[in-house]
Amino acid sequence: MARYGMALDYKSCINCKACESACKEENGILLGADKHRIWVGVKDIEGIFPDLSISSSGFEPSQCQQCDNAPCQTVCPTNATYYDDNGVVRVNPEQCILCTYCMEACPYDARYIDDRTMTVDKCNFCSDTRLINGETTTACQATCPTKVRIFGDLDDPESEISLVLRARDHHSMKEHLGTKPKLFYLT
Amino acid sequence: MNFKKILPYNRHTFSSFFSFERTPLNVFMLMLTVGLVGFLLYGISVYLQHGHHAYGVTRQHPWGLLIAMYVFFVVSSTGLCIMSSLGHVFNIKAFQIIGKRAIIGAIIAILTGFLVIAFEIGHPVRMVIYNVLTPGLTSAIWWMGTLYGMYLFFIILEFFFLNNGNHKYSKIFGLAGLIVGLAAHSNLGAVFGFLVARPIANGVFFPLYFILSAMVTGSYLLFLIYGWRYKMKFPPEVKKFMVTLAQVLGLLLAILIFFEIWRALTAIYGMMPERGDIAIHMITSKNFLIGEFLLGMLIPFVVIVYSRGRAIKTLVYTSITGMVGIFWMRYDLVHDTQLAPMMPLKIREYSLPPGLVEYTPTSIEWMIAIGAIGVSFMMYYTADKFFNLDHDAKGH
Amino acid sequence: MKTELSRRRFLQGTVALSIVGATAAATALAKTEHKSKSKIVDFGLTKTQWSDKLEEIPTLCEMCVNKCAAIARVEDGVLTKLNPNPLFPKSRNMLCARGNAGIQALEDPDRLKYPLIRVGERGEGKFKRVTWDEANEYIKDKMVKIIDEEKDNRSTIGYCAGEGMAEHTYASFMGDKIGSLNYVNHGSICLATTIAGYTLTLGGYGQADLENADYVIMAGANRAEAIVTPDTMDMFKRTKGRGLKMVVVDPRFTNTAAHADTWLPIEVGTDLAFVLAMTHVVMTEERYNKRFCEENLSDFEAYKKHIIDKNYTPEWAQAITGIKADDIRETARDFMAHAPRAIYYQGRRTAWSLQDYQLRRAQAIFSAMGGGIDKKGGIIFGKKLPLGEHSIPSPMYDNALERIEKSKAASIGNSGSWIAWRNTIIDGTAPYPVRAFFAYKQNPMLSIPNTAKTKQMLEKMDLVVVIDTMPSDTVMMADVVLPESLYLEREDPVKSFGGAEPSIALRIPVVEARYDTKPVIEIMRDLGEKLSKPLFEISKKYDESLQEEIEERGEKEVYKEEGYDLADGYRHSQETINHHMVSSVYGEEAWKTLREKGVFYPDMSKYFKKVSANEYEYYPEHKKSYSIIKGDLNNEPYHDTCVDINEIAVLKKKFRTATKKIACALYNFEKRKGVDAMPTWRSELYKETPEGRFKFITGRHGQFTQSGSSNNALLLDLLPENYLWINQRIADAKGIKFGDTVEVRSSIGAIEIKAYPTEKIGKNVVFFIHGFGAESSELTLAHHRGANDNAIIEDVYETTFGSAAMHETIVDIRRV
Ligand code: SF4
Ligand code: SF4
Ligand code: SF4
Repeated sequence: MARYGMALDYKSCINCKACESACKEENGILLGADKHRIWVGVKDIEGIFPDLSISSSGFEPSQCQQCDNAPCQTVCPTNATYYDDNGVVRVNPEQCILCTYCMEACPYDARYIDDRTMTVDKCNFCSDTRLINGETTTACQATCPTKVRIFGDLDDPESEISLVLRARDHHSMKEHLGTKPKLFYLT
Repeated sequence: MNFKKILPYNRHTFSSFFSFERTPLNVFMLMLTVGLVGFLLYGISVYLQHGHHAYGVTRQHPWGLLIAMYVFFVVSSTGLCIMSSLGHVFNIKAFQIIGKRAIIGAIIAILTGFLVIAFEIGHPVRMVIYNVLTPGLTSAIWWMGTLYGMYLFFIILEFFFLNNGNHKYSKIFGLAGLIVGLAAHSNLGAVFGFLVARPIANGVFFPLYFILSAMVTGSYLLFLIYGWRYKMKFPPEVKKFMVTLAQVLGLLLAILIFFEIWRALTAIYGMMPERGDIAIHMITSKNFLIGEFLLGMLIPFVVIVYSRGRAIKTLVYTSITGMVGIFWMRYDLVHDTQLAPMMPLKIREYSLPPGLVEYTPTSIEWMIAIGAIGVSFMMYYTADKFFNLDHDAKGH
Repeated sequence: MKTELSRRRFLQGTVALSIVGATAAATALAKTEHKSKSKIVDFGLTKTQWSDKLEEIPTLCEMCVNKCAAIARVEDGVLTKLNPNPLFPKSRNMLCARGNAGIQALEDPDRLKYPLIRVGERGEGKFKRVTWDEANEYIKDKMVKIIDEEKDNRSTIGYCAGEGMAEHTYASFMGDKIGSLNYVNHGSICLATTIAGYTLTLGGYGQADLENADYVIMAGANRAEAIVTPDTMDMFKRTKGRGLKMVVVDPRFTNTAAHADTWLPIEVGTDLAFVLAMTHVVMTEERYNKRFCEENLSDFEAYKKHIIDKNYTPEWAQAITGIKADDIRETARDFMAHAPRAIYYQGRRTAWSLQDYQLRRAQAIFSAMGGGIDKKGGIIFGKKLPLGEHSIPSPMYDNALERIEKSKAASIGNSGSWIAWRNTIIDGTAPYPVRAFFAYKQNPMLSIPNTAKTKQMLEKMDLVVVIDTMPSDTVMMADVVLPESLYLEREDPVKSFGGAEPSIALRIPVVEARYDTKPVIEIMRDLGEKLSKPLFEISKKYDESLQEEIEERGEKEVYKEEGYDLADGYRHSQETINHHMVSSVYGEEAWKTLREKGVFYPDMSKYFKKVSANEYEYYPEHKKSYSIIKGDLNNEPYHDTCVDINEIAVLKKKFRTATKKIACALYNFEKRKGVDAMPTWRSELYKETPEGRFKFITGRHGQFTQSGSSNNALLLDLLPENYLWINQRIADAKGIKFGDTVEVRSSIGAIEIKAYPTEKIGKNVVFFIHGFGAESSELTLAHHRGANDNAIIEDVYETTFGSAAMHETIVDIRRV
């Protein structure tokens, strides 16, 4: 039993979308602009040529925040969304009625509809494609050229992610909502 | 055992069921109903082939017109239930005549609502199973759904006892229906109000506003139902009731406008992101200004104030605009809640940065949504044929 | 494989200038062609089921030129996932978006599946399915006729190739066995000038040690989007105030610029002025590494005088480049302050301007002035692990004539000047007709400036044979199409990758070829079997040396010994050859390791360590080959005891240039070919952008490999088409909004493309990504998607090496 989380050295991101492709291939995600578990956000740059603001133009790799207090779980009428033993927020497609309330409730736009099962799907830290088979990391982590992601057990004080989070400044997204994300952005 | 004894109803042959006075208005209503139901059936057939792809809903805007229409119908139902309870639960004299007709309206409305939502929820059957097997007790949708189920049960019983004249039970189930209906309905408000990530919806406003706007809706519907029933030739006691109803409606509208103003002011004040900007967008949109405000509130309100509630014929007509306004209220409620993108960054290189989330219902959604009104007309016609819905000398 | 020049080759004396030899031999990169995917909606992507039929097979990616090491998960013959292979130092445990999308390339229903012979008009795209034998028979008949008519002038067969591991297999068959000198490859539309510039100046192109550099100037190079391994992975972990200071010089604000400390938007085509001005600053302020320059730069004083005499001041450059003089000063000073761990990045696809070669020279010298050459954190040469030899005899053809465009530039080498070569064919200035054309893994219809002329050239041919995996626009022009197996289905020649952490890696087939396709080595073998005898007969007819030879030694022996059996080098399987090449040097164990792990280097099992999920150590620090050039330690280090002696002791090195020093001046080249001995700004070669018009520039993207991946469903999801970058304010003035279709017109043609108004580009420049705009209707997804840059890029080339100058085109923009 672990409590998996991910730290992102997001300043290293180059917006290459290897993570998004790896996720799609690993988890058999349907193609289509709206079907992604993981993405990289880009802010449109500020300023006027040639005085552009470099600092306004970073990349923000993101995915489901694996909230410890997940709004998507709270609102699910059938408990199709649940926390698994590793603290990963997952969807049981057998139980999902596709009311899409979770999509409405997720503050991070992390959910989408899988057209094959006609249920809501989302990032599950490769639980059913990797972790279950004893692999210790996610497809997006493994493939990233600049090694943005550190994946690991937050409950293990000796894990790399725990060490990093103790040592380096970080923040999470929309923390004020009290969702307690398990994605940490290293600054 | 004779069923008729338990639930008195009128016997009909095939032809008597379909016979009605061939006035131009009646013929028009027939054609309208047939047309609407045709739309609905076509819409459903497309939906069954293409699923949600037939709709304009997206990842960022998962709830669309059908949710709005569902809300529209269940608010109508709750509204009729509340208004009717003024008479036979709270014993307000002028309202005592409305009993059965309003309750059957409430039943019809909620059934239509359920019909609509069945084509929005991806797996309605699964829903029934897992609502029971693995109830999500923290989910406003679960409570709303469950309570509406109970509500339907209670008001059916209420109708049943009203029909066979059992005052005691009709009152008990009427009260139960009212309480559960109010709970269900405020939960529907909470479905939106609980969305912590969406400041424009989050908070106490919706649960309260839903009750208020339900009463307004109920009033409009009563005007329409009675206007139709009496073809504008109102008997005196009905007239008296309608004037009172108009005055109550005036008050309700005043409160509603007051609510809306304060809601807008608090939302805009300080221009908090995802709230202030959205509120401005909302109240400057045509949907709001023309749909909600002008049609839904202002016109009826002006008529009431101007005539001191006596222009009941005009009010029957303005109730039509009122209901159009109510429709836009529901539509805006659903749409505006989803206006602010939860992921405000660009994720594809060649795209514009996400602005407010856009949504346009497809024709299929319109067909199902509007077509459903035809179903409620049909049900009303049937109910009117089989049951005596009028207030009669024997009481209810 | 290596071809042994038989004795007569030397007599013939067609040895190319060594510099250009470097182009072809360069380990590296740039442009490539390949394959992809289609089928839209219910496009199910596979999920690994982890059954007991699961195998994990190492291989090398070929979605671009980097050759990243991958591990394929194959379940019951189905490829379910490609993962990075951590063992390979060059790819540092990563697979980019394209690498991941390799599965879609394999699954692409549009792939070439069997040999084809054209039945309709050329270019019409009508083919009939044939057997390999029928295809080869067809080729043979045509070849025999052509070569006979041309009296055994083998150079009448032109051929081109894109970059790839089997490129050499193909090129040696066409060049060394068939005997044509008319070869063109990607060099002259890619990095010929930079390879030549660095090789002539430093003795090699080297590798930027971005893992250890403290300062880098990235000019035009966009490593965040045009991924190059290991540069991309090394640098971006340390940008943004984390150790590597970066100045990006680019008219566009790229994803690389987003990581910069300073972004200097420059006028297109003026980089040389920028470098010269920085050199001027460093020279006049004497900020260069004096000891290093004294010991290791030849003609340094002359160069200094040249720069100062020409008055290349920052103010002078400001007027040309649009970069403020103060910024030029600051960059120059900053660079030298960080030297020797400071790099002026060489660049990859550097076919930009008419002055490109001198630009690369100037860059190389500027870098060298800081001392950061053959030094950790600078430009290093590293080591390369040798492989065994596999040699085959190559026949000499007396009547094979010199390549046709030899006189079109100062120095055209073995790999040619694509544009000059093609234009020579169509403008009728060729000394003899080139009548047949073979293309392998290259799509000249889209990749060579001026598509119309490429088409014209192909139309002139009596025979066009294309070897590829996808029905590209060039395939549409073919008479015979020979389908190559996809990289995931074939074994390629084993390759040694040099650098500070050298290794050997192998592409192993991970799935069986699913269609009637073959790897190049087999395609060459079959063609060889077909062609050997009949072509030998022709040589016998016309080749006097051969006739004499036969008289002396007998036909049988000459045929065999001199390599007229064209298939002789191709009869072993690739695996057998690879086995030999590795085990003959490193032993059987090494071969086993390589096949099992995909990567090998001596002591790998000892050195390789996983430091964390994100960090691997390939060699211990002291085993990395940063400084490899031998020289004498000048034992008079500056007397500063606080400084590590190794950091400041300056070695007098022996560089691999003619003078054994870093060459500031190349007088010989000037004397023989009239090429400026020292980098000099030639204003007559620079064309200012007229008011109201635009310079067009092209570029690469990390989710799209030129036309090669243009049909890949997954990648198209990420980047559906190219858009025209146009300055926001200019667009506003022209009423052009995002997504509007605009026409871009140059002197050679016009295209239509959607607009992307943005402040990320200057007012007189427009840009879009290369590789879109396929015409081939056989490419379901790529067909008519976006625009083809080469339909508007003028076919001009610089005159030193005949390298394309792709950023010299002026265009007009109009809303349609
Ligand atoms: S793979 Fe890494 S660098 Fe590339 S987009 Fe994803 S997080 Fe960014
Ligand atoms: S990010 Fe969204 S989907 Fe993920 S756990 Fe939080 S609320 Fe749920
Ligand atoms: S950079 Fe990407 S496409 Fe190129 S070889 Fe590496 S993984 Fe493949």
